[in-house]
Amino acid sequence: MASEILTLKGESDGTNTSGNFPLYSDLLYHDSGVYAVPTKVLIPYGMKAKIWAKRLAAEDETLFQIYWSKDASVGSPTWELLDSQKLASKGEISLEKRRPIVVRSLSGKEGFKVSWTQPTAKKAYVELEVEITDEE
Amino acid sequence: MDKVTDALGLTLEGEHLTAFIPATSKAFVFRVKSRINRGYEKFHYGPLPLVANLPLSSYAGGVILVPATGVMPMYSYTPVGMGLRFPLTGAYDETDMWYLPEDYRERLFHVISEVTPKWLRRDLEIPSGVTQGRFQRDKVTTGIDKLFGYVRGRLETVHFPKLHYGYRFGNDSMFNVYTGIDFTYAEYIIETPKDPELIFNILTRKVPSHWITMPITVYDDSIRRAFVDVYGIEGFTLYPTTKRSEAITEYQTLLKEAKV
Repeated sequence: MASEILTLKGESDGTNTSGNFPLYSDLLYHDSGVYAVPTKVLIPYGMKAKIWAKRLAAEDETLFQIYWSKDASVGSPTWELLDSQKLASKGEISLEKRRPIVVRSLSGKEGFKVSWTQPTAKKAYVELEVEITDEE
Repeated sequence: MDKVTDALGLTLEGEHLTAFIPATSKAFVFRVKSRINRGYEKFHYGPLPLVANLPLSSYAGGVILVPATGVMPMYSYTPVGMGLRFPLTGAYDETDMWYLPEDYRERLFHVISEVTPKWLRRDLEIPSGVTQGRFQRDKVTTGIDKLFGYVRGRLETVHFPKLHYGYRFGNDSMFNVYTGIDFTYAEYIIETPKDPELIFNILTRKVPSHWITMPITVYDDSIRRAFVDVYGIEGFTLYPTTKRSEAITEYQTLLKEAKV
């Protein structure tokens, strides 16, 4: 049994009305060169990602969406909507889940991303508690 | 069920530890006389000993360099022959803290290691450079660079003296990750039980013992030599319960050759 919980934090650029959140965590290394900040999570082969909690904040109306892909390893994955949450105006919301959002890796290529969509470009913030685990 | 281990999973003093070698169908049976580090079994080692620019293999093919010390890049794994050792200043071999020479034969390291992040794939080279994962005899090689034949997160082993092990890791995620490893270990003072009947009863599971099946499916000659040099024997053959007298006779002979 292996289980690791990551707090993934993302922040929109404030200049685009839509985009994918860059994801930061204490365990994730990045630099300004080839090791860029990831914008998607590829789940290790045979494991699953459980999204236990979401903390969302924005300076204006923002739609937060989680997409998953059967093959997130390619350059331009085909994404399908998995979860959607809207802040109707400036504010924040914290959602703890007794039953998590689950994304399974059956082939080692599955993954997910978190995106924002806004009528007017403003800062938006997301924090996810994600467990990467091989347990049921 | 009789309890032979403590809450940490380490063998209690006075109890037995059995290290089974699948390649030979033999096992070493040790009685734990003492645990030298009782109460101090945890060692937060820190980052994996991955130095910047160390070349690792990539799951996508080719080579990928370690971007910074202790960081494991995405899709990378330690190639065969580059299994990691854990340096420790002042240790007998400062490049490998778990290595003991043959004259430390009364000592045995029982090591449970847990890597961060837990999803990293793991296997062991015993000795360094020799992978041990096999499927259908030698038809298929398994391990961290294959579809199966690895564990994630936690790995338990004993370190036989006179052998360097190679710890291999694989990161099949899309993250470049800071790594860490924690050891829960025991430095035992051990002896081989002198009663062949007791050994038979342990190996037929009539007497409780903490069994560790070593990932040794390829019986490299250096393993055989290490066993003979360190312990004087290659272990005790597992017999069915119906062959008790045959087993006892063989064990009596082996016990005369045993060095510890």
